[in-house]
Amino acid sequence: MQDLDLLSIREQFNKEQILLCFNGPITRSLIEEIGNALKNYLQANDAEPSAAMDVFGTYIEMTQNIRHYATSKGYTEIEGAATIVVARHDSTHYAILAGNIVEKEDAQLLSQRVEALASMDKAELKAAYKQQLRKPRDQSATTGAGLGLLDIARKSSKPLNANLVDTENGKTLFSLLAIV
Amino acid sequence: MAGDSYPENSFEFFNDVIEWVSDFLDQLDKPLNLELKLIYMNTSSVKAMMDIFDLLEAAHLKGRAVSVNWYYDPRNERVIELAEEFKEDCTFSFMIIPDEK
Repeated sequence: MQDLDLLSIREQFNKEQILLCFNGPITRSLIEEIGNALKNYLQANDAEPSAAMDVFGTYIEMTQNIRHYATSKGYTEIEGAATIVVARHDSTHYAILAGNIVEKEDAQLLSQRVEALASMDKAELKAAYKQQLRKPRDQSATTGAGLGLLDIARKSSKPLNANLVDTENGKTLFSLLAIV
Repeated sequence: MAGDSYPENSFEFFNDVIEWVSDFLDQLDKPLNLELKLIYMNTSSVKAMMDIFDLLEAAHLKGRAVSVNWYYDPRNERVIELAEEFKEDCTFSFMIIPDEK
């Protein structure tokens, strides 16, 4: 901890125009608390209400996806930890980057799914979203509606970008970057 | 219904509302009008909301008087887009109304 160069971290945050950064176990109430902080930052940043809602919505879908994934795998709080960064991208856009540890085989599937979404245009994404919305709900699933990634892709102004990094314990850090 | 909706398990959260709407439509023959002022909804809330609109649509097709009034803040066009997408699948009276207050 003594070696931690807080000044360089601070300078990097400033340089990248990072509004918010979080790393650790994420609970339902934390998602809400951080979300409220994010809303306040965006308001203080004079973000347009529609832009603020896109950022908030993307953040919610990403973090709830992470929670659902951790629950479905029976992960502990630590294993299900999330790393979230929200930054300004340019004068009208924001970048939302979120990562979590996933199983290697899931990382490949997720990455393929993101690539497929990244290749679709807005009309195709809307059609896919509506189709997924109409799918009967899996009664045993206590998770979401399978719409999160589609929704994020629809909100994004650029194709989604997924990144995979193998960790030492045989798992993968999956991260998703959205520019909204 | 008003405000933001983003519970993790929306189906559980909306279940009581869905049941209420379903019972109301089954057991009574009064008209049903939903007054909405929803702003942000996560995708699982959207899915639950669609279940409610599907119930209204089915009742409407059987001749029941049902309607939706969705009020929005004109400064936020995302709410209009959200409401419009629901409206696309509904044939009953679905009004999207600017709330100037």
